[in-house]
Amino acid sequence: MTRYLVRRLLQLVVVAFIISVLCFMLVHLLPGDPSVVILGPNDTAHNRAVLFQQLGLNKPLYQQYFVWLGAVFHGNLGQSYLNHESVTHIVATGFPIDLELIIISQVIAFAVAIPLALVTSRRPNRALDNVSTTSTFGLLALPPFVIAPIMVAVFAVGLHWFPATGYVPFSQDPATNLHDMILPSLAITAGSIAVYYRLLRSDLISTLQEDFITMARSKGLGNRTIMWRHAFRPSSFSLLAAAGVNIGALLAGTFIVEYLFAIAGLGYSLVQAVQQRDYLVVQGIALVVAIAYVVLQFIIDFLFTVVDPRVTRE
Amino acid sequence: MLGAGGASALAGCSSSPSSSSTTSSGASSSGSKPGINTGTPNKGGSATVATLAEIDGFFPPSNHWDTNGFLYANTVYDPLMWVAADGTVQPYLAKSLTSNSDYTVWTMTLRPGIKFSDGSDLTSSVVKNNYSALAASALTGTALKGITSVDTPDSMTVVYNLSAPRPSFAAGLTTQVGYVVGQAMLDQSAAGKTPTPIGTGPFIYSSWQPNDHFTATRNPNYWRSGLPHLDQITFKPIPDDTQRAATLKTGGVDLILTNDAVTITEFTGSSQYQLVDSLTGVIGEPSVAFIMLNTAVAPTSDLRIRQALAKGLDVNQILKIFGGGLTESINGLFLKGSPFYSSTGYPTFDPAGAKSLVSQYTAEHGTPALTLTTVTDPRLERVVQVIQQMWNQVGFNITVSAIQQATLITNFITGKFQAATSYQFGAVDPDLNYVWFSTTTVSPVGGIGLNFPRNSDPDIEFSLQSGRTSSSQSTREVAYKKLDQRLAADLPYLWLEQYPFAMVGDQRIQNFAGLTMPNGAPGYGFDEGIIFPSQMWLNG
Repeated sequence: MTRYLVRRLLQLVVVAFIISVLCFMLVHLLPGDPSVVILGPNDTAHNRAVLFQQLGLNKPLYQQYFVWLGAVFHGNLGQSYLNHESVTHIVATGFPIDLELIIISQVIAFAVAIPLALVTSRRPNRALDNVSTTSTFGLLALPPFVIAPIMVAVFAVGLHWFPATGYVPFSQDPATNLHDMILPSLAITAGSIAVYYRLLRSDLISTLQEDFITMARSKGLGNRTIMWRHAFRPSSFSLLAAAGVNIGALLAGTFIVEYLFAIAGLGYSLVQAVQQRDYLVVQGIALVVAIAYVVLQFIIDFLFTVVDPRVTRE
Repeated sequence: MLGAGGASALAGCSSSPSSSSTTSSGASSSGSKPGINTGTPNKGGSATVATLAEIDGFFPPSNHWDTNGFLYANTVYDPLMWVAADGTVQPYLAKSLTSNSDYTVWTMTLRPGIKFSDGSDLTSSVVKNNYSALAASALTGTALKGITSVDTPDSMTVVYNLSAPRPSFAAGLTTQVGYVVGQAMLDQSAAGKTPTPIGTGPFIYSSWQPNDHFTATRNPNYWRSGLPHLDQITFKPIPDDTQRAATLKTGGVDLILTNDAVTITEFTGSSQYQLVDSLTGVIGEPSVAFIMLNTAVAPTSDLRIRQALAKGLDVNQILKIFGGGLTESINGLFLKGSPFYSSTGYPTFDPAGAKSLVSQYTAEHGTPALTLTTVTDPRLERVVQVIQQMWNQVGFNITVSAIQQATLITNFITGKFQAATSYQFGAVDPDLNYVWFSTTTVSPVGGIGLNFPRNSDPDIEFSLQSGRTSSSQSTREVAYKKLDQRLAADLPYLWLEQYPFAMVGDQRIQNFAGLTMPNGAPGYGFDEGIIFPSQMWLNG
């Protein structure tokens, strides 16, 4: 297993290197003077000169890359030319928001999808299974930008249970933070529940027809034990793979929900920066998101080895 | 609301807050008009205001202030001049502003004893240094062209020397170039650092998390006695119109800014909310929505095509479908009731006439094909699809394109468009719009030009100069009526409607649209969404 993980880790380093080169080239592939691209058209000649000095824009490209990479390793991703905010600060404030949204939404998704799939897979095509399958199919067809306004109309404006918009950092007020994050998280959760439920249900139905399950039953094991100990683990491969892709897509991919709920997460900041051509912000966020995605896939690979150690025998 | 915000950022930075300001129906406060409460104010408390979008910064020489930007600016800064309720421009941070007999030398005296939030003094040298930074900026320098030098004969006096008479000079100081920041802020910017807002305003900058919130706390040493009433004010950008309204309804904010016809209609007449809008009582020029036509590229360079596009556009039908009856169609820059309003001769809806003109053009050049561009906004995209249908019916081959606002603004500046939706021109004085219409700001396609449609009409330049240099109201009325008539003849703009702005407050927030000028005169407290937070207070 160690060799497998080391090999994966080396692959991760190579991919991270390629990502860093691509992100670095983002600014340089754009037409025109990089200092205009970075500072915008309205800045002064003095500031352009300072930028040239800071980034070594008069040096060969490979040297510029290492200057940039050195700055990245020191936590300096540059600053927004629009409001001069440090990109590191934008990432540091936005990333935890995305992370929290993802964690809450995925916890809810797993908490709903897994028990439901375990129950319905035991008696497929019965009433509960039909209702669940149809409902999740409906959820799959509802994108967050449809669900969010409906939830706001019902739970915020109608019932006054939750705020319509807003965000308080967890460190500032944990209770308010969780309260504020429920609607945005639910808006993201719906699609995940549908995918996870349908995949797990399908795999469980297949697993429950295997010989080792028949043997477990013949040994007199209870249903709960059979489902959790014997059926769930071998059925969770597809679920794990889907979760990896889904969570990866949610990294900075929650911008629609963040836009609707006015939460300044990483996705929202990225879209804003793209719209305003704030290239250093785009570059910094793209780098962080891409690296986070690669790290996430590494974790998923590791979890595969936990679920089924045979994957290490390549 | 039909206009795309294509030029809004630029309009906000080098144009001005307009003087269209009034109140409309809705719940009243203490027997006053909505948004205005002249009763005894409560002291203390914290209010939250939802804005349309985030701004790009607080530094006047380099940041693009739209309505949201002016809201932030009125929180931590003060303008040198502002508009009184009677439409006259009066001193605000300045104590007085007078001119010589031919309006070429303007002398400003400052109020003594005013300090910036960092404890430094407001002096003439700080004002002059602000001017220097603004004049050197590519963004704001155009608005200050014509000022040949600025003198500071003493610490409280600033003298502006102009190259030509400009009776409307004072109005220019109500715009972004009239806001004064502290010397330390100028120094920070010059050193390439991020300038932290330092102003003389009613609140002191506390924190700003872009796209999340901007918070300012009461300035205990504010130069206006007894102000501000609030201890703290927070602005939260909520870009989605529906969510902004929902947040007000759920008590998440006390006050919202909106330019959404649906939201304005929803809250109009409500007994639970106070609504103030910009749709009546215009003195200067309101912001108007239009389709801009590039006169420097084919086929819109042909006057017959521009006439056909105007005649083939049923604006009233569009407003009926999308505007909810909130606004009416317009025939030029000025609204009925304005001294500058006239029957401009702007073409009326005439599909037969449009078809005839298109036929003439087609016989010479083939079917006219052009791209109508708007910003990526689902509602605007639906509007332009209806316009596309109307124009195709009279013989055009129209392609619709939706792009990001920043890209559209760049395309305007460089003239790389054929037809595009936008809104602009809100201004206290018509002269503040000089740069957008002048022949001196026309550039070839590909070059940088503030006359976006590249319409070079000597009669327009003559009218603009006449209006700019004359102090005679009758001469100025003639000049700006002529401007409007020439625009109706040249057709670089197809007029749509007045662009609406509104503030909606709950019953807790009081006097958000009320303003008393430093000299005690009533001021324009609601100027197309721009308010003065210093005089608002909380009920109960």
